Order: sequence, then C-alpha cells, then structure tokens
Amino acid sequence: MQRTLTLASAAFALSALASAAMAQTGPIRIGVVTPLTGTYAGIGQQVKWGLDLAVRQINAGGGIAGRQVELIYEDEEANPAVAVQKAEKLFQVSKVDFLTGTVNSGATLAVGQVAERNNRLIATTVSFADSITADKCSPNVFRVNARAGMQSAALADWMAATKPNANVFYLGPDYEMGRSTVAAFKSAAEAKGAKSVGEVFAPLDNKDYSPFFGQMRSARPAVIYTSVAGNDTVRLFTQMAEFGLNRSVQVVGASGTVTSQNLPAIGKAADGFVTGVGYATGIDTPENKKFVADFQAANKAAPDLYGADSYGVLFFYKAAVEKAKSTDTDKVREAMRGLQWNTPQGLKTMRAGDHQAMQEMYAMRVNGGKFEIVGCVKADAAIGPDTCTRF
Amino acid sequence: MHDTVLTTLPASVSAGRRRWSAMRWLATAFFGGALVFAAVALLLGDVFFLRLATEALIFGGLALSVDLLLGRTGLLPLGQALFFGLGAYVSALVLKEWSASFWVALGVTLVASAAVGLVGGVIAIRAKGVYFALISFGLAQVVSKVVYNTRELGASDGIIGVPGAVILPGLTSASPAGFFLVVLAFIGAVYFGLRYLMDTPLGRLLDAMRANEHRVAFLGFDPWRYKLVAFVLAAAIAGGSGALYPMLRGFVSPELMFFQVSGNAVINVIVGGTGTLIGPLYGTALLTGLRSVVGSFTAHHHIVIGVLFVVVVILMPRGLVGYGAPALQRWLDARRAAREVA
Amino acid sequence: MSATLEWLQFVLAPQMINGLSIGVAVVLMALGLTIIFGLLDVINMAHGEFYAIGAYLAVLLLGLGLSFWAALVLAPLIMAVLGYVTERGLVQRVFHSRDRHTLTLLLTFGLAVVLEDLLKIAFGANPVRVQSPITGATEMVGLFFPNYRLFVMLFGGALIAAVWLLVFRTSLGALVRAAAFDRQMSASLGVPVARVYAGTFAFGAALAATAGVLLAPIYSVFPTMGRDFVLIAFSVVIIGGMGSIKGAVLAGLLLTQVQSLSSLFISPVWSDPLLFGIMVLVLMWRPQGLFGKLGHA
Repeated sequence: MQRTLTLASAAFALSALASAAMAQTGPIRIGVVTPLTGTYAGIGQQVKWGLDLAVRQINAGGGIAGRQVELIYEDEEANPAVAVQKAEKLFQVSKVDFLTGTVNSGATLAVGQVAERNNRLIATTVSFADSITADKCSPNVFRVNARAGMQSAALADWMAATKPNANVFYLGPDYEMGRSTVAAFKSAAEAKGAKSVGEVFAPLDNKDYSPFFGQMRSARPAVIYTSVAGNDTVRLFTQMAEFGLNRSVQVVGASGTVTSQNLPAIGKAADGFVTGVGYATGIDTPENKKFVADFQAANKAAPDLYGADSYGVLFFYKAAVEKAKSTDTDKVREAMRGLQWNTPQGLKTMRAGDHQAMQEMYAMRVNGGKFEIVGCVKADAAIGPDTCTRF
Repeated sequence: MHDTVLTTLPASVSAGRRRWSAMRWLATAFFGGALVFAAVALLLGDVFFLRLATEALIFGGLALSVDLLLGRTGLLPLGQALFFGLGAYVSALVLKEWSASFWVALGVTLVASAAVGLVGGVIAIRAKGVYFALISFGLAQVVSKVVYNTRELGASDGIIGVPGAVILPGLTSASPAGFFLVVLAFIGAVYFGLRYLMDTPLGRLLDAMRANEHRVAFLGFDPWRYKLVAFVLAAAIAGGSGALYPMLRGFVSPELMFFQVSGNAVINVIVGGTGTLIGPLYGTALLTGLRSVVGSFTAHHHIVIGVLFVVVVILMPRGLVGYGAPALQRWLDARRAAREVA
Repeated sequence: MSATLEWLQFVLAPQMINGLSIGVAVVLMALGLTIIFGLLDVINMAHGEFYAIGAYLAVLLLGLGLSFWAALVLAPLIMAVLGYVTERGLVQRVFHSRDRHTLTLLLTFGLAVVLEDLLKIAFGANPVRVQSPITGATEMVGLFFPNYRLFVMLFGGALIAAVWLLVFRTSLGALVRAAAFDRQMSASLGVPVARVYAGTFAFGAALAATAGVLLAPIYSVFPTMGRDFVLIAFSVVIIGGMGSIKGAVLAGLLLTQVQSLSSLFISPVWSDPLLFGIMVLVLMWRPQGLFGKLGHA
C-alpha cells in the first residue's frame, strides 16, 4: 500500500513536471468549442474552415514563436450547457492554452465564466450581442468580430446617405436577439432622421410571413429592416418576392440575415439587400483577394464574415503571444490590450477598455449572388462608447 | 391495462427479503462505485471528470423523476425538462439575488416545483396514455418559449454569474469533489426514499393502478388523486435536481427546458431499465459518458445514440437492469441453493 | 361603415385566405397522422421527418433534371415504399407487445432523431431552394396572391377529397376500415391484415411526403424542417379526434383560421400556445376529440 502510494505520487509528480516542460516547447494547443451539429452547424462549418486555413498557414510559416499550433475541436451543439462541459474538458483534460469558436451569445458568456475559473483566455469570432463587451464583459473574454452596435452604425449611415428621412418598417424574430437588434438599428436610424412607420415581431422559426404582409403594405414604407436569420430569411424573402413586396421597397437587415449559408437558397429574392458588416468578400485589398482565393481553393466555398473573423483570430493570438513572449495568461492578456493586427479586412485594434476589436465597418449589398461594398464607416465612428466597468 | 413488457418488474424488486437481493447489490454497486470514483479522482486532483460525473448524477435525478412516472405510475412524460429547467432558474435566481445558501436555494426550489407540479398535474393528469405524453410535451414547449423571450430571466442568453452555493462553512459547490459527494447524497436520498415509498400503501396503490386502473377505482380508491401525488412528487424531484445545476456550472439557460433534455431523460430511463429506479441511474451515467466520448470522435453522435435507443426499444425494452437484475437474481439464488445443499 | 367594409376587405379577407392556404398544408399533415393512428394505433413521432424526406426527395429529383410535376408524383411513391419497409421492419416488431402505444411512440421518436441527423449528413445543414413551378400573382381582395399558393390550395383540397373518397367509397377503403374496426375478425375473413397495416402506414407516409413536396417552394427545405409541423399536426389530430378523417379536416381548417385571425389581435408569438391551450381544453372536456375514431366514423 505504502509503495503503491509512493509510486503513484512519483508518477504523478513526474508527469506534472513533464507537462510543465512540454508547455513551453511543445505545440500550442488551441481549443475550439463550436456547433458542428444543430441549427448553427453552417456557421460552425465556416468557423472551422477559417481556423483550419489559418493554422495551416501559420504552421507553414514556422508556427507561433517557433511552436506549432494544434487545434482541438469539440461540438457544442448550440447549447450552452454542452459548451460549458466541452470547454472544461478542453481546459482540464486537453490542457489548451486558448479557446475560441463559440457562436451564440449564451454559450460565449457561459464559457467565459469557465475560462475565468480556469485562468485562461477565450475569444469569440461570431457572437455579436453587445452585452459580451458591455455590461457582461469579462477580463478573460475578447471579441474580434464586430458587435451589433457597430453593424447598425454602418447601415444607418448608408441609409441616411441614400434614403434620407425614410419611412422604415421593422420586422424581426420575436426573441431577445431579434428584438434588441431591431431596437439598436431603430435608434441609430432615428438619430439620423429616419421615421418608423411600423414594427412587427414574428415567432422564431415562423413558417409563413404572409399574415404580416397586409400590415407591411398598408404602412407604405420606403425601407424595410429585418433581423431574421438562417432559414427564416429564406422564407421571408422568397415569400416577399412571391407577393411582390420587394419591388418598390429597399430591404435592409442585420449582418446575420443573409450569409453565404442561406444565400444560395434565397437566390434572386436577395438582390438589392443591404446590410452593415465587418467583412465582405468584395473588399478590394490584396490581402483579402488572396484570402478569398485560398479559402475558395481549400473549401470550394466562399468565406463569409464568420469564416473571415475566425481566420483572423489566430493571427490575433499569434501577435499577442509573440509580443508577450509567452503563453502565460496574464502576459498575453496584457499584450492583447491595445494590440493591432492585420486581417483580410484591414487593420484591427483591440480596445483595451472592453476587449472589443475596432475595425472599419462596411455597408454591403447583395447582387446576383455576390456581395459588393457600397459604403464604409471608420473604426472609431462605428464602435460606440466603452461601457464595460468590470476592469 | 395489464402487466406490460416495460413495466413488469422482476419479483425480487417487490420482495422485501432480508438476504441481499439483486437489486440491493446493484444499488450498492452504484453508490459504492461512485464513492470509489470520487476517492480516486480526488487523489489525482481531477476536476473535469468529477464535474462531468456530478452533472451525470444531476440528470440522473431527472431520470428518476421520469421513471417514477413512466415505470411506476404508467404515465409517459415527454416534457419533464420543464420542471428541471424551472428548478434550475429558481435556484439560480435565489443564489444570485437572495441568499447563497445551498439549503435555502434547494428548499425554495422544492416548494416552487411542487406548486408548479400541482398546477401542471391538474391540467395533465386527466389525460391518459399518449395524450398525457403530448400535453406534457406541449406544456414544456410553451413554457420554454415564454422563458426564452423573457428579458428579466436573461432571455436567450440565460443567467450567468451564479455564485457557488454554501453548503457548510468552508464547503461550497465550487469544490469538485465536495459537491460531487453532496449531490451523490441527494440522489441517494431520493433513490432510497423512492424505494421505501414503493413499499408503502401509496406505492402499492401505484403498482395496482399501473396493473389495472379501473379495478382500483372499484376498490374505492380515486386513481386521479394518487396519480396527482405521484406527478407532484416527480415534479419536485425534477426541480430539486435542476436546482443543483446552476450550483455546479454557475449559469442557466433556456436550453435546459428544451425537448432535447426531456427526450434524453426518457432515453436514459429506457436504456437503463424502466421501473427499476436504479436502472435510470445506471442508464444516465452510461449515456452521459457515452455522449461525451462519442461526441469527441464524431459529429454524428446523435445518430449513434438514436440507433442505440431504437435497438434497445425493439430488442430489450426492459432495459439493461430490467434484464440484468433477474439474471443476477437467478445466479444469486443458484449460489445460495448450492451453498445450502453443501 | 365604410371603414368596417374596408377592414373586412383589406384586412380580414386576406387573412382568412392566408389561413386557408396554411390550413390545407396542415390538414395534409394531420390526415396522414390520423390515418396511421386510427388504423395502427401508432403515434408516429417521425411523421415530421417523412414530410422532410418528401421535400428532400423533391430536391434530389429536381437535381436529376426531372420536372416539379414528376417529383410531385414520384416522391410520395418512393416515400410509400420507405414507409412500408419501416412498418414491416421496425414497427411490427414492437407491435404485439401489450405496451404497444408507449413502445411505438418511443420507437418513432428514436427514428425521428436518426432520420433528422441522416438528412443533415446527406444534404448538409444549409437551406436549399426549390423553385416554384408556377410564377406570377393574382390580385384578390386588394392583395396579390401568388398563383402557386392558389394552386396548392386547390390541389390540396382535391387530394383531401380524394382521400375521403378512397377511404369511405371504395372497397379498398372498406378493407382498411374493417381491419381497423376488428382485426381478428377481418383476418379470419381473409383480409391480409399485416399487409393492410403496412400499406396504410405507407399511405400516411406518402401523404406527408406530398405535403413536403407541395410546400417546399413556399417554406424552403432544411434538415430540421420536420419539427415545423409536429406540435400543430398533433394538436389538430387530437382536437379532431385520433383516427377521424372528418375531424382532421375540420379541425385543421378551423384551427388555422383561428391562428391566422388571432394574429390580428394578439402578438403572433402567442398563436402556438393558443392552439395548445385549445388542445388541452378539448382533452379535458372531451378526450376522444370532436369526432371519434376511424373504424367507427
């Protein structure tokens, strides 16, 4: 018994030493908790493609501070309870240095708590709820993608320029995210002179939007703003086209409304749609052209904002680790604050006050299955105030 | 409704023999095994597996509540996650806004779950068989949708920042091994409480009702009242188990009320062994581990579990313990007989 | 006075017509479900997946170059074969147990989980478009109604009438009703009961698949689409009476009208809970639904 205990503790101590030694020279492990199944599987797919491409390129270029990068994937099934479990597994068992990939805001917030408990950092590349870097901010959570307020700013700006003082009708899915997105854009638009002529919220996963068309038509809007996403967008747009509602009206919406996942299904009905985003394949820089070509070649599909931002997050981490000369959490966090790094959409700056990335925002229009840039807002004009008070 | 495949219990379950029956062995093996696991994990300084096992126990409580209804009262609940999720939310709110005490949170949740169970039961109990299943399903859908949209409850993001619950001075739910033991004690209390209950007149009545409800009415008992008691009890157990979740994970989200949770609980019960009470615990432990492991290997883990479930329903409807216990009992009897002869 | 007339013409009437087009879709789903329950006593929780498979079969056939109309005929036929095989291979195995209701419910529930994941593996998680075969819109009561929707209403109505005729006016239908009414007796009279059961299941599945094909251009096609109709189809079947065709049709049309019109007065989010509430009330007051069982209708 005594001998077994001694042997066991010796083995334990040795392995602890070994892993500590490994920690500074072995591969850098990055955990990815993303929905590979379930409603958001399409987004998870883009996240995976973006990350895989970045890892290949980083490793080919010598890795981060000379160490190769290893990605470990876990499926969060778009369920925060599962995400938390998988995140803890990655931190505790796989001993990852950094974690990313969460999609819905609930999962990002919950995993952020797990990160705090385990003294690690996470970054989200998809969640756009303002609260993540505002009232619910965390010292261990960073966001490299644009948040809802920034998207609204770009779109409101474009709308004020092309359709000043327009009458706007709002249609959104009836849940927190849908309502707050509509509310955010409404205040941004009204601040620039738009007038609201009606508002209706349909249930999430609503099949048939035709019951609302009477109301929409009688309000006679010049612009219709919608925050539906995924399959709901396909249904709304095809039904609007069926009933002839999009002919004389400008349709605008949230960044998640039309993406490369649902665009093929919407087809022509999406033509003319404008939104505010942090990324578009049409951005005319050599870096973006190369990125799009590489992405297309590797995955036979075009990148969307999720793929592009996920691609960029690894370069963000790389820059931080190389600046801090270590993967130690506190040093990397310090390095991340105020960090600037290159991405396909240009230079991004990580605001120290709330861990929100600042970038140029674009107004983007869908035309014949492609996304084209029609407007642009500078980073500091788009970002909005720092309301994070926790650190 | 006669004795059915799903709900025929091995004779050893209801026999209160003094010598250890197969069921008692199985129960001891489960709880004893859990203690051994805790000791080993504590020694190795593990955190993840202890928390995973705690989570499995918490969902095991939900499975027990489903088994009380399905295996012992003859009602199939497809929306039991409603009470589980409700319990989780109540507990989270109590811990966050009122008192960080484990006992207060658990107590308030048990009372609240029983109250909601009473209301839900009055609505649902009237229906029989599959109608009950559909009402249970629909109730859960409706309430989870309401919670999903309620901003005060965090809406689709849920509630984060739930502090650890204080069990004793110096012991909070943040301690992996400590909380594991506390949850094990809770589940043990529920399990042994239910086993005891099944031997009381109430338990006998439930057995009788499951065998033939009409006859029970002719004997002078009102089946509706006893079904309601079982329903409220099941609601309280589900809610109490749910209360433990935010203590473990520090957050709650509406997904805890979704059909997936109810469905998984039913799968856990069927695979483990309906009506055996210990079977659902085994089933939950097995399937939680399976889901975690399979999920790391393939994105298609839903199909694996789904196919396993279909196979069990077709080939082994009584579940693992449903077949394992009688087999074990036969082996024990044979050994006893051999020893007595010799 | 003219304000009321305007309201009637421009608000109420369009809403009612919309409700009608949704109603036809719901009735098609509920019909298959109630037939399967009425005869087989099987609660088919995989019915939504049959609907989804029908839609995906249409996508496949269209991808192979066939016309929409060919897909409308072929997809239900293929689904009928799949349904027949499912009934003989899976449902029959748990059929003879006393616990039939619960076991078949669980079995079809497990099947639904597996099918949904299979669809996602086979076709990907993203939505797919099916082009509407009829384009253009007609102006009616001040609103433009897409011609395809009008077609769906007419075709769906004709299909429902055809099912009614088949069940109540043909000898095949009589065979089916006899087997539902008294299985042993029918078997001893020479009715091939096992095949009738499997055939009926196949028929119900084919109805769901037809709904899938018809609605694909309107509602788009994606792996979780099977869940769209589950709650409302079951509610309609329960309220109408499990196994009653008349009940499914009347309850389906009536309830979708209630939903459609209620969205004028209360927030649309409450329309599903409203339906569910009605179902609970019906179950409490008249558990067998409004119109009783297939074998006795």
